[in-house]
Amino acid sequence: MKQGQMMRGADAVIKVLAAHGVTNIFGYPGGAIMPIYDALYGAPVEHLLSRHEQGAAFAAVGYARASGKTGVCFATSGPGATNLVTSLADALLDSVPLVAITGQVSTAVIGTDAFQEIDVLGLSLSCTKHSFMVTEMDELIPTLYKAFEVAASGRPGPVLVDIPKDIQIGMLEYKTPLQERISEPEVDGEKIDAALSLLKQAKQPMLYVGGGVGMASAVDQLREFIDATGVPSVATLKGLGSIANDSPGYLGMLGMHGSKAANIAVQECDLLIVVGARFDDRVTGRLASFAEHAKVIHLDIDAAELGKLRLPDVAIAGDLRQILPALCTPIEIAPWQDEVAQLKREHCWSYDRPGELIFAPAMLNRLADKLPDDSVVCCDVGQHQMWVAQHMWFRKPEDHLSSAGLGTMGFGLPAAIGAKVSRPDATVVAVSGDGSFMMNVQELTTIKRRKLPVKILLIDNQKLGMVKQWQQLFFEERYSETDLSDNPDFVTMASAFDIPGRTITTTDEVEAALDHLVNCEGPYLLHVRIDDAHNVWPLVPPGASNRDMMEEMDKST
Amino acid sequence: MIYTLTLTLAQRPEVLERVLRVVRHRGFKVTGMNMQLEDSKTASLDMSVESERAVELLTNQLEKLIDVIHCQALTLEPVKADKVAS
Repeated sequence: MKQGQMMRGADAVIKVLAAHGVTNIFGYPGGAIMPIYDALYGAPVEHLLSRHEQGAAFAAVGYARASGKTGVCFATSGPGATNLVTSLADALLDSVPLVAITGQVSTAVIGTDAFQEIDVLGLSLSCTKHSFMVTEMDELIPTLYKAFEVAASGRPGPVLVDIPKDIQIGMLEYKTPLQERISEPEVDGEKIDAALSLLKQAKQPMLYVGGGVGMASAVDQLREFIDATGVPSVATLKGLGSIANDSPGYLGMLGMHGSKAANIAVQECDLLIVVGARFDDRVTGRLASFAEHAKVIHLDIDAAELGKLRLPDVAIAGDLRQILPALCTPIEIAPWQDEVAQLKREHCWSYDRPGELIFAPAMLNRLADKLPDDSVVCCDVGQHQMWVAQHMWFRKPEDHLSSAGLGTMGFGLPAAIGAKVSRPDATVVAVSGDGSFMMNVQELTTIKRRKLPVKILLIDNQKLGMVKQWQQLFFEERYSETDLSDNPDFVTMASAFDIPGRTITTTDEVEAALDHLVNCEGPYLLHVRIDDAHNVWPLVPPGASNRDMMEEMDKST
Repeated sequence: MIYTLTLTLAQRPEVLERVLRVVRHRGFKVTGMNMQLEDSKTASLDMSVESERAVELLTNQLEKLIDVIHCQALTLEPVKADKVAS
């Protein structure tokens, strides 16, 4: 980088991005960010135009989650920035490294209710890991450098940099700042010994794996720990893919819609080893009765998660790539391994359903088997999301992108766009529901513009299915505002965006349709009508212990 | 319980908002506070907060804020709120 060169603030923004290896930006221009878009014009960085700022930021999230790199998005002031808020919150709750750059009105008119002015710094406080408003020219470059450092270090998260227009057009001398590295906590040797001691005493240990493992790039260390100890395991929604699907003793997802085997094993364990997870309420059910007889070893990069909801017996804050190898020790738990294997056999999924109507869990299970090694599945939120988590399998955590913490409908399609940009050789499938799909459907235009070969599997029960399921089970079948039978004709709609597609309704159409979806060139929409009587099972009712799962009670029409 | 906190903050225009937002969101009520600018870069903040929750649930979150340089709960043994009031 040439030092001391005079340039506009806007040009410096693009140079800082290049210095951080940013090759792709997702965004939408507007008045207060025009100088930055001007600097972008002709620059050697690719910008993908979304059709809504929420779509741009979700694409940046998908880009980051599928690749491990920091995602970058741009938006203008006012409505551009407010449209980012949902995606920033999503990235905060799922700990996704993201740098969002917003234009702002000039410093002279901030606080005068100028056109498209809103207090973005104020808005950002509860939905970012950190945020900045640049008010001095000489702060611009150091602030952007710090934004990238904060976003990716420790527990990653979204960082917003609000840049007033006068800072964008003002001149500065480009200097690379001295970088301050944010230090990671050092692993405490005494705590490692304490954890080893608990591990050796345990007769019935269980491993509870969350999204922190993938984000720490500690999948290999986790698998070595499992191989060395033989500890049976379960995963959270974000932890899926961390453990090899065929790993002995792996029982799949735990929690509200987890497998019965996973929940029973966790309830019966005498030692719970929590790795990069945070005792989310969708995981624990009634917290007081979650693994109530177990001692707890909690490992996480974020010290604030240790003891937040469950007091651990041993808590270690630090890099999982250092901690997990230190805990590799053979332990004698053969009777427990047999018990877990028995649970797995007793409670395996059944895909046999009578009748011609398509059973979504069986279809998704087949899709997982058909996907090539390099593939990414992006979900929306609701029943289909839980079916994906239950019935598909993933080679690594970056292959399964699901809005877990915030549970944001509309995540799947733009996240798939971002995933396809960051992993162009991967087969990328957006699995959506008819409710979620319509929430960011404008991003079909982004697919059309770039001819992105994103595959869309749209599971349609003409219902806002998960809410309908709860109305059926817990609100006396009072179906308030969950009927979506006036959905558009999805295949016709896709064709308006030059995306071919077809509708299937019966089981005998599934195999060929999935094969075409996976193997065809270009984007494709497979619209699958399913029986609206099918719900997600099993289910831990709200406020219940994970031991008390409700079993399937569907009556197909 | 009433807890007393003392914090050293980076002097940013929004730093007080940041701290107060976390205090509220994590389930604590501010019962008294005093902020002073120390030098050109830092500010000190003394604060009394009230909650049924353990103070570590707050201090752990405050320590994560980039602009919080130092955070300490001075009241190690929590005092019952009614005793403080009387």
